[in-house]
Amino acid sequence: MVNLEELKKEASQILKEGKVKYIIGFQRGSNGLLPVPAFIKNPKDVEKLVWDPTCVYNLTLFLQDEKRKKTKEKEPDERPVGIVVKGCDSRAINVLLQEEFIKRDDVYVLGVSCENTGVLDEKKLAKKLKGKKAKKVEFGANDDFVITTEDGNIKIAAQEVLAERCLECKAHFPVIYDVLIGEKTKRNVENPFKSLEKIESLPPEERWKFWKEQIEKCIRCYACRSVCPMCYCDECVADTINFVVTPDTSAEEKAQKIKWLEKSPVSSENFVYHFVRAIHLAGRCIDCGECERVCPLDIPVRFLNKKLEKEAKELFDYDVGFDPDKPSLVSSFKDDDPEDFIR
Amino acid sequence: MKRTGVFVCHCGINIAGTVDVKKVSEELSKHSGVVHAEDYIYACSDPGQNIIIDAIKEKKLDNVVIACCSPNLHETTFRNAAKTAGLNEFQCEIANIREQCSWVHKDMEKATDKAIKLTRSAVQRVRRNEPLEPISVPVTRRALVIGGGIAGIQSALDLANTGFEVILVEREPSIGGHMIQLSETFPTLDCSQCIMTPKMVEVSKHPKIKLMTYSEVQEISGYVGNFKVKILKKPTYVYADKCTLCDECTKVCPVAVPDEFNLGLTARRAIYIPFPQAIPATFTLDIKNCPGLLPIACGKCTDVCEPGAIDYDMKPEIVEEEVGAIIVATGYDLYEKELLTEYGYGKYPDVLDGLQFERLLSASGPTMGKVLRPSDHKEPKEVVFIQCAGSRDPELHCAYCSKICCMYTAKHAMLYKHHVPDGQAYIFYIDIRSGGKDYEEFVQRAVEDDGVLYLRGKVSKVFEDKGKIKVWGVDTLAGKDIEIDADMVVLATAMRPSKGADELARKLKIAMDKDGFLAEAHPKLKPLESVTSGMFLAGAAQAPKDIPEAVAQASGAAGKAISILSQERLYHAPTVAEVNVNLCTGCGMCVQVCPYDSLSLKDGKVEVNEVLCEGCGTCSATCLRAAIQVKNMTPLQVNEMIKAALGG
Amino acid sequence: MAEEFEPKIVAFLCKWCSSAGSDLAGVSRMQYPPNVIPITVMCSGSVSPLYIFSAFNKGADGVLVSGCHPGDCHYIKGNFYARRRIALVKKLLEYVGLEPERFQMSWISAAEGVKYTKVIKDFVQELKPLGPQKKLRRTQ
Repeated sequence: MVNLEELKKEASQILKEGKVKYIIGFQRGSNGLLPVPAFIKNPKDVEKLVWDPTCVYNLTLFLQDEKRKKTKEKEPDERPVGIVVKGCDSRAINVLLQEEFIKRDDVYVLGVSCENTGVLDEKKLAKKLKGKKAKKVEFGANDDFVITTEDGNIKIAAQEVLAERCLECKAHFPVIYDVLIGEKTKRNVENPFKSLEKIESLPPEERWKFWKEQIEKCIRCYACRSVCPMCYCDECVADTINFVVTPDTSAEEKAQKIKWLEKSPVSSENFVYHFVRAIHLAGRCIDCGECERVCPLDIPVRFLNKKLEKEAKELFDYDVGFDPDKPSLVSSFKDDDPEDFIR
Repeated sequence: MKRTGVFVCHCGINIAGTVDVKKVSEELSKHSGVVHAEDYIYACSDPGQNIIIDAIKEKKLDNVVIACCSPNLHETTFRNAAKTAGLNEFQCEIANIREQCSWVHKDMEKATDKAIKLTRSAVQRVRRNEPLEPISVPVTRRALVIGGGIAGIQSALDLANTGFEVILVEREPSIGGHMIQLSETFPTLDCSQCIMTPKMVEVSKHPKIKLMTYSEVQEISGYVGNFKVKILKKPTYVYADKCTLCDECTKVCPVAVPDEFNLGLTARRAIYIPFPQAIPATFTLDIKNCPGLLPIACGKCTDVCEPGAIDYDMKPEIVEEEVGAIIVATGYDLYEKELLTEYGYGKYPDVLDGLQFERLLSASGPTMGKVLRPSDHKEPKEVVFIQCAGSRDPELHCAYCSKICCMYTAKHAMLYKHHVPDGQAYIFYIDIRSGGKDYEEFVQRAVEDDGVLYLRGKVSKVFEDKGKIKVWGVDTLAGKDIEIDADMVVLATAMRPSKGADELARKLKIAMDKDGFLAEAHPKLKPLESVTSGMFLAGAAQAPKDIPEAVAQASGAAGKAISILSQERLYHAPTVAEVNVNLCTGCGMCVQVCPYDSLSLKDGKVEVNEVLCEGCGTCSATCLRAAIQVKNMTPLQVNEMIKAALGG
Repeated sequence: MAEEFEPKIVAFLCKWCSSAGSDLAGVSRMQYPPNVIPITVMCSGSVSPLYIFSAFNKGADGVLVSGCHPGDCHYIKGNFYARRRIALVKKLLEYVGLEPERFQMSWISAAEGVKYTKVIKDFVQELKPLGPQKKLRRTQ
């Protein structure tokens, strides 16, 4: 069982010892059930830290800001940043290490175990509670969640309210950490790609109908991109809005910008954007599910990434985020990679 | 706006017969930025080129597109013309409207439409080409030859005799390769050793050749004109300069292992000289078979070595060399015994492979030139030769023809008859391939003068029966089953790339074909070049070949190497990768995919070594941030080309 | 009767094998339908997924990527990376419901003019019954 006090103690100690610059963790927000990110510098503030099934966010996203900030500083503080990660988030750390976006010394990883369960799907819970409002959700003792409502506590089997991705999780405890809080649990997941079956089993034209309907909804707010810890490019090839212009940028370079797709949020252009996003995350997405959670139009974008995760596994036996020393999916090959699709 | 000129070639009727060249020119003249478009009957002719040159000057063109034949043919012609007119060569691009259009279509309207798209696509590209100058690098004027068989020796001698220093690396204790094992050579029946040893001696005495035997290439870096090579010198445990070849050591050595030189027909000691004429003339202590380097374990050879030439403390040594060109002549091995079990090969002592039979025939061989059965030392009276043992058998073995077997089998049968005039030689064959000067006559001599019996058909079974080797086969010409009670069977075993050649090829970054032979850069026009510039191929490493062919290729490869080494500086195509440091995040994925190690990370950004880069663009397709691209084939250009191709 | 549908195909051919193979088809005067506009790239490994998405977006009815046979790559291993990348792109496109016939990959060597001809003929034949590609094509 994750002992929150243990986490606080560890956090407080590393802050006191000056081992880390600050700690990125979860704290209670002022509104709603979900927590908010906490950036803790003062050892006294560690009391704010929480760890419960509502901690859905992948905090490694904030390593991007940290890196950008650091590159701008003249004499940057070279100490690592402490960061609270779940199993899935820890795989993001591995991918970021693999891509040399961060170095191992840049982070002090406070790993927390998901205790054989995972995190919450807010919508599933709301359905379950039928209008009642949850105030607090905690890990229970028997793979269940203890939910505090105005009418008192109820226990719900975790399976019923877990986020979809947690049902297919490959790592219930962090795969990389400096300290591990909680147990190294291992839950058997029979088919880590089960959720795809529904779409995959549709006849092609039905599948097209499904995706067209979904992708057409997209308003290209790019929330999925903003929330993704892997989308750390300074400029997105799908949309040059962020194009970094420095004093070195020549007029020619500016003219060299390619418009691979139009900005207008119509189906054809949306598809290019989502294709690029999916293909660029192939072998990099660790299925933290944040893209889908933040989508204001409930587009199941996770299913695009998940599909390529599945293909990577089935075609190339590639698992994402377990070994930071391995070359990436698309920068490696095997002599006997499948080629039955090639004429 | 850049000013573009378009020239559409008729190529007589080759293009104009199917493509409406006037219409192409007319349509292109409407294309934005095209200020001049015309067609001409032969653009590559002198007047054709002059039209282009004049137009560039008069119309102040910034770039031109020639819609004509494949760029493989006249790209250089037209780029030179553009240069004459004062443009950079990259301001000229070719639209291939002949091989990719007029020659493959009949419908004039559709072919014309396609030609227009192809030409527009080239216009869109050339408008975004940067003017580039070739990258120039100095040349290290020395060569490395890998492999000391006849091909390697020939290349080394040719290079050295031209005046260039050569490092000749051979992994065995002596140079000589397989040719030194042969008895006589077809079609002249020259004694192989008699013609080989003078060349070996010349190598050993040549002031320009640095001979490194018992050595292997370990690592290679660099690029054409400037390779850095690490060579592992394995310890022989014997100082060649002290060794007097007195042979006392072999008398006391307690070990006996199969002798490689005689292909296991005899044994040798752990300390040995491969053969009497070995170069360098010295003994080698084979550590794998020596009971131990500690005097306690054995130490007998050091005890008897009067000059004190044996040193158990000799260590492996890594020698670093710099060279400008490399010739790979790693030769061949015979198809593995374990893979060819159907003829009793490896099971019955009197079933031999071709090289073993060469040793039996050789005057210096284990039987001093007498043909005797290995099993009982009796003279075989009936010998069956089986051609294509492992070759031309795509189902079970090698699909290719090993090329030399028809000839050497004829030679084997002929020489056998010279040794055993009352014996009978049978040859099972599929076809007799005797293309080559005096080759067919040689085969006829074997049949007519020496009474060799050729049986067209395959052997189905070989097995031992009452001291004989029974051969079941079929004569497809007579339509009869054949059964021979043979005393000996000789297999014309397939030739394979020499063991370890694949590993070496990977180190050198040169390609192999599907059979593992080293791949030439072009099957017809570049048979001496590997795919990596500055590395050349010689001998059977590239494909099965006989001695004259191996020697010819070796001399050719040497000539190719000389054409590099004789230059002061080399020029390298400037269409290389370039990095946009603003976008690079230093993820290193491009570094991982680069086949030439031309990319490296420095301070979190990728850097291109322009001399190493071959411009393949795999980096650019791998980069998630469009931070790396190949000059003059940028994603921007491709995007514009796609648009043009689709008529947009 | 309406005119038969003529698919528009963009083919990314590597310079050393597939483009040379198409040249050989030309030299040998083999005949194939004119629906394909080839774009010669240095290596199949240089074909970015963006090129493929972009081609469909710009109205291609079919896209072909063709490189050297495994082991024959002029750049030693570019086609191996291409094979992996293209496999993923193909899976993705088919997953959203694009007809599998519309995106193809082939190995065509410099000596395979016949194969080039066949690949193009088959491609065009397979695309004709599908009609124009409207799913991913830019609509405005």
